[in-house]
Parts: sequence; C-alpha cells; structure tokens
Amino acid sequence: MSKDDKEQKKGGIFQAVKEFVYGVAAHDSARFALKTRASMEHLFILITMGDMLGVPILPPYYSLRLLPYVVPQISTWKRRMLREKDLTDALA
Amino acid sequence: MNSVLVLILAAIVFFIGYRFYAKTIDTKVIKADPKRATPATMYMDGVEFMPTSKNILFGYQFKSIAGAAPIIGPIIAIQWGWLPAMIWILLGTLFIGWVQDYTSAMISVRNEGTSFGGLSYRLISPRARIILLSFIYFYLLLIAGAFGNVVVSTAVNLKSAPMAWLFLTIGGVLAGQMIYRWKKDIILTTVVTVLIAMLGIYLGTVGPSDKILGETLANSRVLWTIAAFVFCYFAAVLPIWRFALPINYVASYIVFFGLFFGVIGILVLHPDFTLPAYTDFTIKIGPIWPIMFVTIACGAISGWHSLVSSSGTARQLENEMDARPVGAGVMFLEMFLAIFALIIAGTLYASAADYGAAVVKGPGGVFAAGVAKFLGAIGLPEAMGRSYGSVMMIVLAITIMQLVIRFMRVATSELLGDVSPLFKNPHIGTFVASALGAVLVLTGWWQYLWVLFGGANQLMASLALMLVTAWLMSEGKSFAWTFYPMIFMFVTTVAALLYTSYSLLSKVLTGAVQGEALIGNTLMGLVGFFLVIAALLLGFEGFKAFGRYRTLRAQPASVG
Repeated sequence: MSKDDKEQKKGGIFQAVKEFVYGVAAHDSARFALKTRASMEHLFILITMGDMLGVPILPPYYSLRLLPYVVPQISTWKRRMLREKDLTDALA
Repeated sequence: MNSVLVLILAAIVFFIGYRFYAKTIDTKVIKADPKRATPATMYMDGVEFMPTSKNILFGYQFKSIAGAAPIIGPIIAIQWGWLPAMIWILLGTLFIGWVQDYTSAMISVRNEGTSFGGLSYRLISPRARIILLSFIYFYLLLIAGAFGNVVVSTAVNLKSAPMAWLFLTIGGVLAGQMIYRWKKDIILTTVVTVLIAMLGIYLGTVGPSDKILGETLANSRVLWTIAAFVFCYFAAVLPIWRFALPINYVASYIVFFGLFFGVIGILVLHPDFTLPAYTDFTIKIGPIWPIMFVTIACGAISGWHSLVSSSGTARQLENEMDARPVGAGVMFLEMFLAIFALIIAGTLYASAADYGAAVVKGPGGVFAAGVAKFLGAIGLPEAMGRSYGSVMMIVLAITIMQLVIRFMRVATSELLGDVSPLFKNPHIGTFVASALGAVLVLTGWWQYLWVLFGGANQLMASLALMLVTAWLMSEGKSFAWTFYPMIFMFVTTVAALLYTSYSLLSKVLTGAVQGEALIGNTLMGLVGFFLVIAALLLGFEGFKAFGRYRTLRAQPASVG
C-alpha cells in the first residue's frame, strides 16, 4: 500500500467516524430544521400559487409577480402536497 | 463463562450474519443494484427525500433504534438464566432481527418511499391499513408506559438521577438556544452543554434527591411520573428545536461516552458470569416460551426498527447497496448493546438472590451499578459511575418516550379529530397521551407492563415481516426466509400477549387485586387483548393476500 493510499484510508476512517457522530447527534436536528423551512415555503407557495389547487387567495396579479421566485419550488411542493401520508410519517 | 468469550461469540454471529447471510440475501434475492435510482435520488426534495451518506445514516439509524429496550430486556430476561437469553439474542438477530430491519428499508425503497400504512393498503388490503394504524397507537401507548416506568423507578431508586436529569434538561435547552437563537459555534455549544450535563452527574452524587426534597418526595412515584410526563408534554408541544432535539443532542454524547468506556471496562475486567446459566422453565412472570422471547425485545428483533427503517431511513438511502450496512449492520450493533447489558446483569452480582433483590426495584438500578463497575475499571469513582449510569438509563428511555408522546399527539388528532375538533388541539392530544401513559406507570406492575410492551413490539415486527413477505410474493421472489420468521414471531407474540392479558384479567375477575392494581391490570389486560384481536384480523387479511399472490403466480402468463 502506498503512502498516499494509507493517508487516504486514514482520512476515510476519520471522515466515517465524523459522519457517524454527526448521524447520531445532529442529523435529526438538521432534518427537522429543513422540515420547518419546507413547511414555511409550502405555506408561502400555497398563498401565492393557491390557484393551482383551486384555492384563490392572492389576486393573480401578485401571484404572477412572484411566479419567477416560486417556480423552482413548484414541482417539489406539488409532490409533497400530493404524496400519500400516514401516521408513521410523523416518526421520521 | 467469561464475558469476553460471549463478546467473541457475538462477533462470530455478526461475521456470519452480516458477511454471509445478509450479503447472500442482498445480492441473490433482493438483488440490490447500485445503478437503480432510490426514492432519495428520484424524489429529492431536500427535506424528507434526501440522499445521505451511509455513515451518517448508520449513526442516524443507531440513534433512532437504540433506546432503553435492548438494555432493559436482557436485564429482566436473565431471570431465566443467561444462557437462554444469550442464545435468543444471537439467534434472534441472526435469523430474524436484521432480516426485518433490512427488508423494511428495502420494501420502502422499492415502493417509492411509501410508509407502512400505504404499503399495507397496497399489498394487503384497505382494511389492513386502518387496523395497522390503530394497532400502532396502542403499541406506542405501551412504549410510553413501559419506558415511563423505567424513568420513574430509576428516579426513585437512584437518588442522584433527578439532579443529573435536571442538568441534562438545562444543558439541552441551552443548546437549543445557543444553536438556533444565538447562532453560536456548534463546538462551543457542545462543549458547554455537555459539561453542564456532566456537572449535573457530579452534583447528583453530592446533592441526592432525598437530601434536597426529603425522603417522602424523593420516593414518591407520583412526583416522578408527573415529572416524566411534564417533560414529554413540553417535548410534544414546544417547537422541536427548542426542547426535544437539543436535549437528545446533548444526551447522545452522554450515552456514547458511557457505552464506549463501558465496553473498554468490560475488556479490562473481563469478568465471569456469576448468575446461573439456566434457572427454570417457568418463573414469576411466565414460562420461557413465549415470555422470554418478548421480554428481550429490541436486542433480538423489534417492530420499532421497521417503522424507523421504512419511514425515515428508506427515504435517505443514496444507493441500494447502503441498505445492508445501514439496515442490517445497525441491528447487529444493537445486538452488541443487548450483549453488553446481559454481561452487566450476569456478572455484577455474587448470587441470584442478590440480583433478585436488585432487579425487583427496577432495571435502572442494575444497569447503573453495572456502568459504575465498568467505568470504575478506567478510574471513575463508584458514586459518579452510578450517577452516570442512572442518567444514561433515563436518557435512553425518555428520548423514545418524548418521541412517542409527540407521535401520539398527531395520532390522536388524526384518529379522533373527526369525532370532536377538541382532539385536533395539540394540548388536548398530548394530555390524552400523557394521561394514559401516566395511568399505566402508576397502576401497572412494571414486569407485566414490560412483557406487554415486548409482545406488542415484536408483534409489530411480525406484521412488518408479513408486509415484506407479501411484497416478495408479489414480486415472485423467494420468501421462505421472511415467511418462517414471521410465523414464529406471530405465534410467539400472540401467545405471550394472550398469556399476559389472561394473567392480568383473571386477577381482576377473581378479585385478587384491589385499588391501583385493579385499574392497572384491567387497562393492561384490555390493551393486550385489543392488540391480539387487531393482530389476528391483520393476520387474516395477510393470509388472504398471500393466497391471492399464490394464485396469481400459479396462473400462466397471458399472451398478447
């Protein structure tokens, strides 16, 4: 095994341990923070793009002004809104 | 037998199970394909569906499944002798435990990340989903009761525990504030808050609860039950970043250090087992079959793992090849945790009588004494070690408990929200869940409660295996390796629940119990019977689905 390989392996093990500790301690927190942000974004999209679900909330003029900012999120939003959910989703 | 030999035996089981059995199933039956897109990559939303490194997922899965159960189960089960307990932990994990964890993740991965409710609807029947979700609610209630009992008995019997628990809570809340509000550096936050938790462990030894609160309050089960459920109440209704998550964050370091140095302590001391290898077929809580098999709970197989694997982990797997290290690998690690607990209980006491006197007060005391002994081997004073062990026990139980109460709040809103809008209120939902859990803790005998929890937990596992078997049949894959474990677990757990529920209710009907025990026995007995009925209905639906898939396979494929 060359010196580089050894160093790479050592770095790999260190990285693996670091990721394991992150997974144990902080991954859940990061996921919940992302979930909270996603919920806020969905609320925002619902307000601006509610027409897409048949819920007219804002006048279309403002929706159209905001459309360029919302476009990147629309596919994710629709998928999350329409995906079948049940109680066990609350666990993860 | 020497404890190091037991560790070596566990290592051999791991090697055979993970390197050969799991690898064969992964490559030959499931045919995990690194090129096939997983739900995390196909439906990436940066939130639930997110490709994540297998090392992170390994840690996440371990943290999610390693609660108090793999520790408490073996401590109680050693009453039948350490040998049957050890055999079941090793063989249960080898033939059933990892199979369930791994396949629960894979079934979800191959079905677009669908969770168990949707899978039971699709693979078994629409009715199966409703039965399964009702089953899960009462199963979670038993978790809250059984783990609540562990917290309360530990707080009552180890007087240093309440102070350590209080400081851990303070450290956790401060961690949330520092990370999310003050935007402080994560390393600084970790050092400060873990030190606060450690300070609490030390202060617990100089300021035990009986000195501060007096004997009466320190020994009051009512007080500590209220404390435990108020803690869970806050965890359920406050924003998750403010209370539940940062406390879990700080607690994970306490548990991690405790386990790491505890294992080193075992290797340093390498004690012999002092308790008998086998005692009797029938003991006070019941016969070895089926009761011991459910008492050990998560150390061999657990339904909880299937919920975590299918709802959380499956949506984050970056590559199908990661399912084996994450799903199966973590289950084998949990097996080592159960073996660690077995070694603690089996080597700590000079005789069975000493162990009996200790365990009757609750498993927390046994665990804390074991942690003290093994941390003592690396130089920690005995009182500090005991305090450390007590807070570890509380942490392992209460982190799952708070998640369960939070989940039950959501479930109450979903199941009863249409009956009355009151149940949609988060405070009402949390109160209902906490009150039911508290009644179980205050009125139920903890060993029966534990057996009921274990029964429900492993019945959940057999239901998960039923789903997996239906899926394998629908895909035309070999299914004997999940079908027979499912049958064994189903029969064993239904028998255990029936035996325990009958024991509880017969005491009620013959007037053998009065007062609090009357309420506890009635409630536990009825919940046990409800779970059996739900499982039988689900089993009936499952077998109808199996018949359907067999017929489909027998029919020749139509042409054109």
